[in-house]
Amino acid sequence: MVSVADLLVDGRLPGNYFAQDLYVRGSTELGLLENRRGDRLLAIPDPLLQAIYVGLDKETGQASKMVLYNCGRWWGKNFYARFCEELADYYSQPMASLSMAEFLQSLQQCWRTHGWGQITLDMTYRDQGFLGVEIAHSPFTAAAPNSPSPSGDLERGILEIFFSQLTGRELVCAQTSCTTRGDEANRFVLGLGKRLQTAPALVANGQSHQSIMQALVQQG
Amino acid sequence: MTFKLDSLFDSADKPYLDVNDLTLLSQYVSSIPERIAVYRTLRDQEVAIMQPIADALQQGTQEPEAKVERSVRHGLMVLRYVAMAMLLDDSAFVQGRLQGWLPEIVQAHDTRALDQQLFQLLDQQLAKVLTPAQINLLKPGLTKARDLLLGTGTSAPAPVPAEDLDPLASLL
Repeated sequence: MVSVADLLVDGRLPGNYFAQDLYVRGSTELGLLENRRGDRLLAIPDPLLQAIYVGLDKETGQASKMVLYNCGRWWGKNFYARFCEELADYYSQPMASLSMAEFLQSLQQCWRTHGWGQITLDMTYRDQGFLGVEIAHSPFTAAAPNSPSPSGDLERGILEIFFSQLTGRELVCAQTSCTTRGDEANRFVLGLGKRLQTAPALVANGQSHQSIMQALVQQG
Repeated sequence: MTFKLDSLFDSADKPYLDVNDLTLLSQYVSSIPERIAVYRTLRDQEVAIMQPIADALQQGTQEPEAKVERSVRHGLMVLRYVAMAMLLDDSAFVQGRLQGWLPEIVQAHDTRALDQQLFQLLDQQLAKVLTPAQINLLKPGLTKARDLLLGTGTSAPAPVPAEDLDPLASLL
């Protein structure tokens, strides 16, 4: 039988850790925004994001996508470590014993609360070895100049390293749709490198998310 | 903080609070002793209220114990948030803390049917320990929580069921 007293051993019922009104705080007298653990948060103005894109393009041209992607990987590595640490502390149990539902719901809420848009996982192609991620309302691509090729390189880097660390496999991430191309959301596909070899060419071809996925799945 | 009266205090840059605002404030202030009494009851009798619900759920279902335990956990969580919302006289508090979280967890763990029964049993249990007037204080928050958890009008994309997610680590 279920014992309610046993469920309440330490009196805590961990819930929505990243709830916006709980998570974002500040010591305004010091001019600081903080999260609920006291780590510093920073609000980035839109024009600064735009300036980064323009500045990178001016100074490095073609390489700016690579720079953003590498920044994303660096950020993702630290984000993953901090995300896991915060959740493990909050739930008072190691990350590995957290249910996947709680983990993913936390990731979604975390993304929203930080103002990075709405992230959802797409498991449609799971059996074929692909994991889909969709990000709507991304502030990062919203600030990027319009472009025929996807511009979510920062997010591509974050997702690649985040899910590589989560799954313990070296994954590769390709972006298959982008708001700067006129698509309604940024879509990404993650998988092992050899399964995604043809992806960059398909993306460069300007194909839709659906047809890229079709081609990836059909290659066997 | 989503405290309903915040909007009164935020308007300090207006001339002064008018009669309606002040009536609202004094109504809230005079209801505080009753709100604290209800809160105390819920706090002190948390286990006593919820254990019979857990037993009834378990007896009335073929679902595994772990799933019943999940549902009871949801019930405990809801009641705590509803109690706090009642203390603050602000049902938006329930929404702010549960939206984008508990409905998705409910869906992922597929406890909806159990949660539905749980809400009915909860009504019965509350009627045993609280007066109708006291229950009325809890109503706005309870209704909001019930709508959030069991409502069908959610625009969020359906999350992936938990059993699909567990092998994520060995997925690719």
